[in-house]
Formats: sequence, structure tokens, C-alpha cells
Amino acid sequence: MKTKVAISVCILSLFLTSCVQKTFKKTVVFRLNTSEIKEVKKVGIRGKDKPLSWDYDTEMKTIQKDSLYEITVTFETGYKFTEVKFVVNDDFEFKNEDNRRVVFSEKDTTFYNAKYNMR
Amino acid sequence: MKLLTKITKPILLTHWSQDLFITIPRIVCGYLLAFNFGAAKFGMPWSPTDNNLGLFEVAFWFPNDVANYGGVFAIAPGFFAWMGAFGEAIGGLLLLFGFQTRIASFLIICTMLVAIFMQQINNGLWNCLAAMGFLWIAMFYLILGSGRFGIDYLLILKKHNYEN
Repeated sequence: MKTKVAISVCILSLFLTSCVQKTFKKTVVFRLNTSEIKEVKKVGIRGKDKPLSWDYDTEMKTIQKDSLYEITVTFETGYKFTEVKFVVNDDFEFKNEDNRRVVFSEKDTTFYNAKYNMR
Repeated sequence: MKLLTKITKPILLTHWSQDLFITIPRIVCGYLLAFNFGAAKFGMPWSPTDNNLGLFEVAFWFPNDVANYGGVFAIAPGFFAWMGAFGEAIGGLLLLFGFQTRIASFLIICTMLVAIFMQQINNGLWNCLAAMGFLWIAMFYLILGSGRFGIDYLLILKKHNYEN
């Protein structure tokens, strides 16, 4: 009887463990236009999914000084979207407003072009 | 079968209006658990489509969170995550309709105790309030059952001449 219960528990555990949402890798190339801002010292991005975080900036690479910045991020996620905000000179865009919602492309790589503080 | 009848049979208050009054938190909490908190992490037909959850699937991030609680949770995070999400989504749905209210309440109590003591306690009392709210509600319905305004009452009424 005890063996039957143990086997049932093991099978149930395996069954339930397999009911975890599958994840996949999604790469997003974020490109930010900051031409409206004078004296850009620092450009970063924050977001809800790892490797991004809401707690610290992930620095973006300069493509064209003072106007164009880029970062490529690979997420391991089960969702069809992620949420981000850009940070320029330690200033968050869209203060007290909704985050940017980035919907992943059906392909592996999504290209997301944005202008700071503009939808 | 007698045990199931005992679990199902609600305690009735002296006047139907009292039962109606205490049905309000049951419906509100059941709805919030099933359609908001639960549906975001457990695949239900009404889960947000962008969350990409299959039916009865637990969200990919939840087992990782559960594993961080340590101890027994780190041994079988998938199992505990699934049970927790199931407790919220299905437990909430059962609570909403007053169907097997005591079983639903028990599931919700277990889930909320884990949420309070393993997840939120280090984030301060304020962050524990939502889980504590659901915990108090579930504790009352664990004792009372569905009251007059739930499926449990209809089932018992159909089977027996009701004696409170």
C-alpha cells in the first residue's frame, strides 16, 4: 500500500513538474534616439526580465554620440513580451507612466527603435 | 462519502441576509484570485494571451522563485509552484462559486502562508498585506463553508433535508 502511494506521489510530482511553461531565447536589439537631449552623458535601459532589472541600469553602447545608442539583449522567457524603460543621465523616461511594452517578433530577433520619452 | 458531505455542508447564519453579507468577500476574493493573481501565473482560459500559458501550465518564472525559498521548496520547486498557482487560480474559482468551499479555503490558506512567510516577510509588513487579506478570508470560509449563497448549499439541500 505504502509503495503504491509512493509511486503515485512520484508520478504526480513528475506530471506536475512537466506542467511548467516552456521557455525560449528571444533577442531584442534596442536602439534609442536621444537627439532631443543636450549633453548626453550616460544612457541605460531597465526592464522586468533578466538580464535587465528595474534596480540598476544596463549601459547602452554609443553608435552616434549624443543621438544614437544601442544594446542587444537576449531574454530567456516564456512570455511574448517584455517591459522596459530607458534612462538618460540617470533620468527615467515616462515617470509615473506605463512602461514600454516590447512584443517579441515571431523570429528569434526583434528590432526595437525608440525615441527617449516618446511613444 | 460521509466525510465529503461533512466537508461540503455549510454552517448557516441565523438570517439569510447575514449569509448574503458574508458572501461579498468570498466572491470578491475568489474573483481576484481566479481572474487576476492566479490567472497571471497559472494557465486558465482567461489568462492574458501575452503570458503565453498553456492550460494548467505554471509560469516559467514561478518555480525559480519557489526554489529560492530553500529547504523542501528547493527540492521540488516545480511541484510546489504548480500547487501554489493551482491553489490561487482553481481555489479562487471554487471559492467564487462556493463549490467545495472548505477544500478551496484549505488550498488558499496553504498558498498564502507560504506567500507570507517564504516570499514577502523580508519585504516588510506592507508587502504581506495582500496575502494576509486572502488568508483571513479563507480561514473564515474554512469554518463556515459556502453559506446559503453557494453551490455547496444547493448540493446539500438536494441530498438532505437541511438541518443546521
